[in-house]
Amino acid sequence: MTDNGAGPTKGVYEAVVRSNKEIGRRFYRLGLEFSGAGGEAFAEARPGQFAQLDLSGAPLPAAEAIPEGLGDAARRGIILRRPFSFCDVTRKDNKTRVEILYCVVGPASLRMRGLSGGDKVSVIGPLGRGFSVAEKKRHALLVAGGMGAGPLLYLAKVLTGESSKMEVVVFAGARTREELPFRRPLDEISRQLGFSLGEFAEDGVKSQVATDDGTAGYEGLVTECFSKWLGEQNLPARDAIIYACGPEAMLAQVAEIAKGRNIDCEVSMERRMACGIGLCQSCAVECKVEGSNESVYKLCCEDGPVFDSREVVFSS
Amino acid sequence: MNETVDMSVDFAGLKLVNPVFTASGTSGYADELADFMDVNALGGFITKSITRKPRKGNPTPRIVETDSGMLNAIGWANIGLERFIEEKLGILGSMSAAVFVNVAGASIGDYVSVVERLAGEEAIAGFELNVSCPNVEQGGISFGTDAGQVAEVTSAVKKVAGGKVLMVKLSPCVTDISVTARAAVEAGADALSLINTFTAMVIDIERREPVLANRTGGLSGPAIKPIAVYLVNKVYNEVAKEKGIPILGTGGIRTASDAIEFMIAGASAVGVGTWNFVEPDCAVKIVEGIKKYCADNKIKSVKDLTGSLK
Repeated sequence: MTDNGAGPTKGVYEAVVRSNKEIGRRFYRLGLEFSGAGGEAFAEARPGQFAQLDLSGAPLPAAEAIPEGLGDAARRGIILRRPFSFCDVTRKDNKTRVEILYCVVGPASLRMRGLSGGDKVSVIGPLGRGFSVAEKKRHALLVAGGMGAGPLLYLAKVLTGESSKMEVVVFAGARTREELPFRRPLDEISRQLGFSLGEFAEDGVKSQVATDDGTAGYEGLVTECFSKWLGEQNLPARDAIIYACGPEAMLAQVAEIAKGRNIDCEVSMERRMACGIGLCQSCAVECKVEGSNESVYKLCCEDGPVFDSREVVFSS
Repeated sequence: MNETVDMSVDFAGLKLVNPVFTASGTSGYADELADFMDVNALGGFITKSITRKPRKGNPTPRIVETDSGMLNAIGWANIGLERFIEEKLGILGSMSAAVFVNVAGASIGDYVSVVERLAGEEAIAGFELNVSCPNVEQGGISFGTDAGQVAEVTSAVKKVAGGKVLMVKLSPCVTDISVTARAAVEAGADALSLINTFTAMVIDIERREPVLANRTGGLSGPAIKPIAVYLVNKVYNEVAKEKGIPILGTGGIRTASDAIEFMIAGASAVGVGTWNFVEPDCAVKIVEGIKKYCADNKIKSVKDLTGSLK
């Protein structure tokens, strides 16, 4: 049985902000609570699916809390919603809590930073196609670059859920130690050895860390760390699946590694979106047409954001 | 109280249940929008641009947001005429709204062949000729900014439209929009729709390159609304009123107040575009808002709003 990641009925729902915490340099986790129909819809949200948040009415943080370099962005108005995937979804007392990992980079995420407990946010979702949960596979290898860790945190939880016999290993990369987007800081031993991120360990998931500057774990790209690890293992290709989320250059390399070893691989793509619901056609992802040299554009919002890595034509 | 307002409008011989359309390229082929609203609450629906052959559209990035608007350069991405007929006419035919097919092409022959093929389809009330798209290499705006070419494509299509309503969508990127409006009307247009987007550019200052892969895109959204209202009023006064030609007013509408401004300026109906992306059920809310405004102001028929500017 394979869950194809299609998920529940989408709709426009109101969420209440329950938390908004800093977890690293410019990295935050927003906790949204849905009740009623929204609560039911989001309880079924799949890892890799996303939602469109209307942040146009959210307040800017206080002037002193605006990071250096974002002064101009703070002066810009926004009108469009912004897409975010989920790093955790939990259901309790007929309410659904959705956690979103985000990084403050521009006018919308600055406003997201300005949200506080009790604020209301209009949310369209759950949207798109998430990761498939292939129950026949024994090894799931999750490769995250920076913010890409978000949906993979939720995926790791689902993959290791009850009755799962899957062995899950996470590879998380960041530029530097402070930009590892996880709640629990690495302890000294983990920092030196670069493994066992507390947040994944909770779900019994092994993890390895790579930083560009070597301030934690492997010094270099997460794809190098992953490739090296794969080379040391003796995994039967048909028993394994790779799930990746991160910058497109990283996804392209992961796709190459997967192809070289004939391992199934799913990648979560990112595109600028206006609507997220198939109206605007702006989030095109170039995909190969099987059995020909032609390509077509699929929509990141509806056909994705998760795609089989074999079909994607990655942009250079 | 609300029940006493007559929301129906006559639009080039079509009787519409209300004056609110969703604009082309912002509401897909209707099925996408149906997840979020009752599409039968619309007065009219306009498909995204349909071309003779399927088109992949432009590379990404295809959009970029501005302070109170957005630029798009989608490039007429669509499934093409034949698949449109096979896959989409069914749902469009089941809608109570008047369905217009937005037609695009690189040559007059392209426009003619799409309209000719669809002219006999009962599901379709009319055509909107896209002679004003800024995002394609050939056709589009190059037709729409030249009055002679607007007349040529309009009269060629008129001959094969089989009596369906022919609406021409005008570009604002001209010195005098009344010139192209008049050319369209004199060549046989039954209605005008205005405005399409403004050609615009956003630059990434770190890379010193345009953000959009197409370099330029069409500016839409609240940013263009006051210009659109002005241009609707101008075309109404200088062309449409005298000729009895209805105007579909579009450009940055997000609320009922915005829609009412367009009608006062001279529009017989209004199209909601970019705001569908933000609030996919906004068209329905706009219908209700117009109704309330009429009731509050003791206006018995919404038709009376058209051209009521003092």
